[in-house]
This record gives sequence, structure tokens and C-alpha cells, in this order.
Amino acid sequence: MFHWLEKHPFFFSVTVFVVVAYAGLVEIVPSFAQQSRPVIGTKPYSTLELTGRLVYIKNSCNACHSQLIRPFKSETDRYGHYSVSGEYAYDRPFLWGSKRTGPDLMRVGNYRSTDWHDYHMKDPASVVPGSIMPKYTWLYKNIADVDTAYAEQLTIKRFFDVPYNKPLPMKDGSKQTVKLADTLAGARADALAEAQKIAADMKDQDVKDMVKAGKIPEIVALIAYMNSLK
Amino acid sequence: MNKIYLWGVVIVAAMLGFTYVSVLGSKGGLNGDIINLLTVLAAAALVVITVFVVIKYVRQMQVDTATGELAEENWDGIGEYNNNVPFGWAVIFLGSMVWAMWYFLVGYPLNAFSQIGQYNEEVAAHDAKFEKKYAAITGDRLIEMGESVYLAECKVCHGLSADGIDGKAANLNQRFEARSVKYVIEHGSNNQLLGFENPMPDRNGLMNANKDYAPITDAEIDAVSAYVANGMSGAGGDVFAGVCSSCHGADGKGIDGVAPDIAEFTPALVVDVLKHGKKGAIGAMPQFDRLNEKQKEAVGAYVTSLSK
Repeated sequence: MFHWLEKHPFFFSVTVFVVVAYAGLVEIVPSFAQQSRPVIGTKPYSTLELTGRLVYIKNSCNACHSQLIRPFKSETDRYGHYSVSGEYAYDRPFLWGSKRTGPDLMRVGNYRSTDWHDYHMKDPASVVPGSIMPKYTWLYKNIADVDTAYAEQLTIKRFFDVPYNKPLPMKDGSKQTVKLADTLAGARADALAEAQKIAADMKDQDVKDMVKAGKIPEIVALIAYMNSLK
Repeated sequence: MNKIYLWGVVIVAAMLGFTYVSVLGSKGGLNGDIINLLTVLAAAALVVITVFVVIKYVRQMQVDTATGELAEENWDGIGEYNNNVPFGWAVIFLGSMVWAMWYFLVGYPLNAFSQIGQYNEEVAAHDAKFEKKYAAITGDRLIEMGESVYLAECKVCHGLSADGIDGKAANLNQRFEARSVKYVIEHGSNNQLLGFENPMPDRNGLMNANKDYAPITDAEIDAVSAYVANGMSGAGGDVFAGVCSSCHGADGKGIDGVAPDIAEFTPALVVDVLKHGKKGAIGAMPQFDRLNEKQKEAVGAYVTSLSK
């Protein structure tokens, strides 16, 4: 049937190219669709938020908490709008998780507050009777690793052109810019300024004192990350 | 009689024997179950068919000789016959290519099952049912609905008995704690409790009308905070009359469009807190605008009923 092609290497090559290129197009073209772009309102993590994300990963929060709301009414009633792919544009790696021992955290910033996280991380059962979540008391003592987060920010800005220092469209029509400092000292100062705002809403006096002394405990970074999940 | 037939019979016998032994050896054997019987028969049939098909093709390889015209081209002496592809096979092959083109370009993109579409349909159906079922719900049933929403959404912070879990959140069994009143007087408030922004000034903007509009003093703040937290009774009533009543009303029940009710919870007040969230002495409460209107109204009714 394709005998003619077999006798003409040039046209055989052209045909092979067309078939492979077609298969490639079918795979590649959809990723340029609008649905695959960052959703309006999605912005990269600030230095402190990214620090908190590292704390989240370090403590394997994703082993018990998912970050993916499925399109079922029972889930959207509880957690808010179902997740769409463009919301994970700045998540490297994404933290979908595969098991919900605890609730989903995709939009926890919408319905929990800084002071609640403060009580809850210290002693989960004090606010959620019967909770099996362990106490994360060491987060109140360990100093957060801002430097690594800043290094990660620089890397993703350079290699993936993550839009730091650029105005990004928000859901209400306004523009927001996520700042990335030029120097490590600047990044530390930014993170501390952000930490001071979080600490002002917290109740733990030790944490407040530490932040006042210029140190950022991991809990503050983690709460900043939790509050950014919307 | 070719040796291969003999081998075929031996293998069939061996495999059938193996089947027989493994069925009898398993717990219960056939167990009187028609499915088990069918499975064994199918296994036996497979054994026989497989062996005979293999024998056929091995025989063919032994005796067949190639026939037909060779194609012109050959590769290092390896050539192929110039036979046509079987017609039916060619039709199926080309047909599946055409189908794949259609499916990738049209079939899948335009007619694919949509999870989100199904979700939207289910939500619309649920909402319609909800509207219909609870359109006229009032009184105790509304409070019951409010309690169920409360237990799902609010108890995590305010506690099962709505006591605020030792001061971690607002105690909803009373309108105010003294520290909350004090915080609002000292810092002012803009919590959109009326549904729109209408800020209350901080202590520098609060004057006592009964004392020639002198700024409110620390002692007065403590007195009036205790008075309001005590359900508008006890000492401090005179300060309230002088400082607060011009906006909040002599009885503390608020004035429409000016200041909210601080004597007791009202459903409308609770609904506004759910819509806009709140920040005060105890901490911040996020907004819960994703509850539907009926649910907010129900929570309002429930919270109001707690302090009655």
C-alpha cells in the first residue's frame, strides 16, 4: 500500500516528519491555551511566604494535607472554589498531596486567621476537640531559613522569569507587585517587615519578642504562607 | 503421523490434568457454582485451541514454500513479495487513521466529557432544590439550620458551645466582653457592621456631652465597657448617655444607618459580620461570604438566639 513511499526515501522522510509533528502538536498546542496560563489573582510568593512554604515542606505537611479542591459540591461547600491548573503556576513543586488525613489547605487563608493558626499549631486539640494533629511546638523556637527562600526566589526569577517586581492583575481589577529585593540584606529586611505584621496579630508573647529582636521563628513564616493560600 | 501431533496430545493431556488437579485441590473445588464450572470449561477449551493453533502454524512453517513475485528493490539481498495488503486490513488501517484525525481535532476537544460541566449542573440542581425546600423556613427551623451551619463552619474558632474557647474567639453567648468594648473605644472601629463603611472614631474623637464635651477618660472607658458588657446595666450608664447614646441610641440598640446595635445581637448584624469579616480585641475573623443568603440568615438567627 505504501510501496511507493518505501521506494522514495525523501518523501518517506517528509511523511514521517508530518506524522510525528502532528502527534507533537496535539500534545503541545493545548498548553498554550488561556486555561493553562496563571489565573488572574495568582501571584508569586513573597520572601517570607516562600520561607513558610519551605517550613511546610520540611515538616511534610503535605503528607496529611492536600492542596487540591475537586469539583464536587461537598468539597466546594467546605473549601471554596475548585482548584484550576493556572493557580499552581508559581508552585515549584506543587503540593497537591494524595491523602487527606487533615483537611484540604488550598484556600485556608480565606477562612482561618493568624491568631487561630497561632493557637492551633501550638495545640491543635485546644481549638479542634479530638484533633489527631500533633503539636508543632518547635516551630515557635526554630529560626526560619529566609536565605534559602531568597536563593530560590532569585533562581526561579532568573530561570523561569517568575514575575517579581512586575505589576500583576488581581481579581478586583487592581494591580499588585510582589517585591523581590536586590540584595540578601534587603530580602531579610523585607521578610522581617512582613513578619512584624504577622506577629502583631499573634498572641504568643515569646514570638512577638523574637520578632522584635529581629529573628523570625518558623511559625511566623508558616502563618504567612497559610494566609497567602487563597 | 508427525511427531508434532504426538507432542500436542501429550501437552493437552498434561495441561488438562493440571487444570483438573488444581480445581480439585482448591478449597471447595467447583463448589456447585456454575461460574466455576464455566471457568474450568473455558480453561480446557483454551488449552485445546491453543495447542491446535500452534500445531497448525508449526506444520505450515515446516511444509510451506514461498510463492509469488518478488518486489524489485531489495536490501543487501533481503527482499519482499509484491503481494497486496489484505483489503479488509487496509480499510481498517486507513479508517482508523481518519478516525484518529477526527478524534484529536474535533471529537475530543468539542465533545469531551466535562467534569466542570457536570459539577455546574449538579450545583444548579442542588441550589434549585435548596431554594424550593427552604424558601419559607422561619423560626425554630431557621435556627436549627443556623446551628448546623454553625457546627460546620464556625465551631472551629467559636467552640461547640459558642463560648469562644477560653477567649480564643468571641463568646457568642453574650453581646460583648468588656475587653472588646474597651478595644473599640480606644482604637475606633470600621468593621462594616451596618453593611457599609461607617467608621467609629477612636478615643480622641469621643466626647462626653454631659461634661462640656471633654474627651473620654480612662476611668470612663472602664466604666462604660463594664456597663455595655454587662448587658447595658450597672454603673457607667451616665457615661453611656453622655458619650455613646448619640450614635448607638439611649438603649444601645443602634440607629439605622448610623451605628450598630451594641445591646444585643441582631440577625442583620451577624449577616454583615459574615459578609465582611471583623477585627477587634480578640483577633481577626475572616469573611464567610461563600455561605448562601439563606445560610447567613440562619446563622444570624442562631447566634441571636444564643444570647436570648
